[in-house]
Amino acid sequence: MGDSMPRIELLVVQPTPFCNIDCRYCYLADRTNKSVVADATLQNLFGQVFASGWAKDGLSVVWHAGEPMVLPIAFYRRAFAMIEGLKPEGLMLSHSFQTNGTLIDDAWCDFIAETHLSIGVSVDGPRHFHDRNRVTRSGRGTFDKTIAGIRRLKSHGVPFHVISVLTKESLAAPREMFDFYLAEGIDHVCFNVEESEGDHRSESFAEAGIEDAYYDFLSEFWRLSAANPGKISFIREIDDAQRNVFRPRDTGIHNQLATPFAITSMDWTGNIATFSPELLGLKNRDYDDFVLGNVNRDRLEDLAARPLLARMAGDIDAGIALCREHCEYFSVCGGGEPVNKLFENGSFATAETVFCRMTKMRATDLVLDRLERLPDFVQAGAAASHSMPTVL
Amino acid sequence: MSLRLKYQTILTQLAPAGAVGVSLALGAAAPAVASEQPSGAQPSATAKEGVSERLAAVRDAVTALDMTKADAAKTDGRLAWGNFGWGGGWGWPNWNNWHNWPNWRNWWRNW
Repeated sequence: MGDSMPRIELLVVQPTPFCNIDCRYCYLADRTNKSVVADATLQNLFGQVFASGWAKDGLSVVWHAGEPMVLPIAFYRRAFAMIEGLKPEGLMLSHSFQTNGTLIDDAWCDFIAETHLSIGVSVDGPRHFHDRNRVTRSGRGTFDKTIAGIRRLKSHGVPFHVISVLTKESLAAPREMFDFYLAEGIDHVCFNVEESEGDHRSESFAEAGIEDAYYDFLSEFWRLSAANPGKISFIREIDDAQRNVFRPRDTGIHNQLATPFAITSMDWTGNIATFSPELLGLKNRDYDDFVLGNVNRDRLEDLAARPLLARMAGDIDAGIALCREHCEYFSVCGGGEPVNKLFENGSFATAETVFCRMTKMRATDLVLDRLERLPDFVQAGAAASHSMPTVL
Repeated sequence: MSLRLKYQTILTQLAPAGAVGVSLALGAAAPAVASEQPSGAQPSATAKEGVSERLAAVRDAVTALDMTKADAAKTDGRLAWGNFGWGGGWGWPNWNNWHNWPNWRNWWRNW
């Protein structure tokens, strides 16, 4: 396939669709299903991925889309050993979990440390924000158990990041969110916004002024971090925006979410999808539920030639062309996230979404605004009164 | 002063601080009080330029800064591409990742 060979960079594997909690904004329709992926299915997936050569530049594997820790450690011990046995020598491969944190115990911490598993914990801030949406099936908040898990990771010295879903309430409280992370010793943070995906319709997106609220939140959170150096070492949205703004001319942007197979997802039955991982598991008549094939029946290489892939890619490319033609921010995003276009606008072949206005445009505005403000800020002697870092 | 020159002047002062220092400096350059700069308002005269023009000017400035550093390194007899903060460690490679996983291997976090 030469230069046109797909490159899998991120492999999202659903070990089980089941989740032990029932978040109000969750897009996964099948989260009461306790099925578990078969060893043979995993073997087919990884055997094919490695044999295809599509992952020869290295591979990140995320176990997600169900709570990964509802399965026993023995499951992952067996799976990781099998994958290691199939993996070509020298190929860099890392495993990651995105977890609700409620099941983390000492045994999990030992396993995480032993296998160098990357851990992301979903926590939405202080109790009254977190428990508003992250609840059990009986409606009880999960804050105590999530925090217990985070504290256990800390006590074992296991590095982790958190992903917090921001709602209109937490967007109005950057100081409270910042203080929460500091109090819990959390120094790598990522902010998601409550999105419209699948059957879930975001209430936040319907709020007037939500984009300005997002800008104000990031602005104040960034200011607080700068005023307390060394406390929060990574804010994904700020770092991402800076990375996308401050780059040399003539460097393009690679949109993994719009590149066939760059992100490849497999559900517990072996069904394969690509582009936005959220697509797998959602129902859609126009795109055959986004399923390209099944690793237990099909050859991975054959999936690349499926008419469904060509149709999805064609529509996604048409949307990207619209972005390129009309959007001032195209160079920082490369055409956006297909799943948001589909669920907000009704089609892949569209451009702007609320999601991209918030997470791409306003974050870019913030970095440009700060850059342009900097000379006046320094000249005005504001440094002393604002805890200006002594870098200039 | 052209946009590119304006940005180049700022970035020349910022660059020695490295990525962490740049982020701290920009983070600190916030309005003193929230009411000073309403979120919808544009903060400076430069902002009347379109976003794409501003982004292009920033990148021209970053490129010019890289070239200046390269020339300096050549003069010193030490070629150190890859050690340059902007081109090697700042904005490249450039990825737009899935937001439910920050795909660290590909991320800009080598600082």
